[in-house]
Amino acid sequence: MENANPTILSVSELPTRQNKKKAATAPPGKDAESDLDIVLRRPEYLSAPFCEVPWASDDTDSDDGFTIEPIDEQEIYDLISTISDPEHPLSLGQLAVVNLPDIHITPSPSAPADPNTLTQVLVKITPTITHCSLATVIGLGIRVRLEQALPPNYRVDVMIKEGTHSQDDQVNKQLADKERVAAALENATLKGVLDKMLETCV
Amino acid sequence: MASHEEPAAPLKLMPLTPFKPDLYERAWQSIPHPTLPLLATAHQKSVTVFSLSTLSAHSSLTNGHERSVRSTSWRPNLPPHKLSLITGSFDSSAGIWRWEDEGQGDSGNDLEVEMTGGAKEDAEEKDWELIVVLEGQKSEIKSVAFSPSGQYVATCGRDKTVWIWEDVGASDDDDEWETVAVLEEHEGDVKCVTWCPDTNRSGRGRYSSDVLATTSYDDTVRIYREDEDGEWVCVAVLEGHKGTVWGAAWEPNPKTDHFPRLLTWSADRTIRVWTLKEEDDEVEAPRHAFGGLRGIPNTMRRSLREEWRCTAILPAAHTRDIYSATWSAETGRVASTGSDSIIAVYEEDAKGTATTEDEAAAELDGDVPMRNGDTKPAASKQWKLLSTTPNAHGPYEVNHVTWCKRYDAGCAPEKRGVEEMLVTTGDDGFVRPWQIS
Repeated sequence: MENANPTILSVSELPTRQNKKKAATAPPGKDAESDLDIVLRRPEYLSAPFCEVPWASDDTDSDDGFTIEPIDEQEIYDLISTISDPEHPLSLGQLAVVNLPDIHITPSPSAPADPNTLTQVLVKITPTITHCSLATVIGLGIRVRLEQALPPNYRVDVMIKEGTHSQDDQVNKQLADKERVAAALENATLKGVLDKMLETCV
Repeated sequence: MASHEEPAAPLKLMPLTPFKPDLYERAWQSIPHPTLPLLATAHQKSVTVFSLSTLSAHSSLTNGHERSVRSTSWRPNLPPHKLSLITGSFDSSAGIWRWEDEGQGDSGNDLEVEMTGGAKEDAEEKDWELIVVLEGQKSEIKSVAFSPSGQYVATCGRDKTVWIWEDVGASDDDDEWETVAVLEEHEGDVKCVTWCPDTNRSGRGRYSSDVLATTSYDDTVRIYREDEDGEWVCVAVLEGHKGTVWGAAWEPNPKTDHFPRLLTWSADRTIRVWTLKEEDDEVEAPRHAFGGLRGIPNTMRRSLREEWRCTAILPAAHTRDIYSATWSAETGRVASTGSDSIIAVYEEDAKGTATTEDEAAAELDGDVPMRNGDTKPAASKQWKLLSTTPNAHGPYEVNHVTWCKRYDAGCAPEKRGVEEMLVTTGDDGFVRPWQIS
């Protein structure tokens, strides 16, 4: 264990969407089929969890099946803050590895949504200690979680927050490399670690 | 549509019906056969071969790899009833496969098919046979390529090495491959290997004619040649990209007798053109005084290095990693695509001469002051952007683009095998042809 004594936030301190209608629910994370989902990006436009999001009642042009409530930073946070740390029995939100102010969506979710417009989600993570060798695995877990959950026009970029990690350039380059990410998901050992991290996502 | 309406009409890409069936999940690459109307698409743990006539599946290569097939390449110079492909996989092996048309195969093979194949439908499913597995790379293979003669194969991968294998079989039908070089100069994953086409590249002075370009996660491109001692040596390191160099393509059909140029593309969102500085006295270059250089360590063979210069940066068209580009032998046009799902097409100004290239090189090298204090090299004037097509695969990333001859029914019969189209391969599992108009 690299950091036996990290700072821990209690669940009640974590940012939530108070009084808002229920956030999108994530796909059930434990059956055999969802394991496959992580590896195989399905081309269905209506992939979980978005098929479960209720349509806005005053929607006039929902016939293309795309018109959904825009995804904002809080929703991204909800998707990834529940990922388990690979070495602590705590979530990335509790460990403050992911933080709401470090999630950026471009263009802003308030702009009109077109299902073909590329939307960048940039997540800057703060590893618990500066030489945490598991930073790559954590970043990979976040990238996989978001690519699995978000519609295909989202491009997920996960980076180490500046100055918080001694090899951030190397980690950033690996996390940005599609080919390496794809290959990593076919590595049984790594896949096992990722599955365990994502088990706690609900 | 009428062609006499030219010349001012901008170039347009019109989507044709995608190849059938949809491959459903991410497909990496689609490689046209050098002479036949076939296209090989690497996806999941297999390769699907499509017919360019029917735009539907012809055959498939399955059960040869335990992980995804990332790359594939056709063996050139085989008789038309024989096909051979190499596959490179994340399982760290490369496979050499063969397919024989049963109707035209020799009688020995027919007999074998009859005896082992049983029912006809069984035989059809077993068309492709994995003949040889090339093992040696320690982790994922990222790219594989046959040399223009078919004598060599290059493979490369995450273990930072490039392997060159030579066909030492007694005949075309005898698959026996031997490792002739393991090149370890790159400092990161080697992403792409590509052989120079056999136009204009005849043995220059001290080297044999085969030339290999490799691109890497270490942001560099390297050029390898075989010297007169049969050693594969790195003759140039091309530095300039500021991110992973995803791939490279040689100029397929140089207009003059210059050595083919090299096109490279990168995560830095640029596409660069590199030109070999050719010595006038190249052919007459005196042999080294030590006679054949035998016994001299590689590090001392400085005189054997080639000078490659970046002579152009194509106009900016992409907002994210460029995963693929392709250079047409027919028109000289370049097309590119990548994570932003855009297809861009570029054309070189016909007036581009050696002089302007030298000027461009000087400018890119920083030999002349940049205008307006611009710190970035200016995009070269001799290339212009003809068109950009967004959302080529809807919202999905596009992993590959290639020029390809048309043979489909939508193409006028007299233009089949002549007219070019683009074929793109995406994360959505679609292989999509595009008509150029």
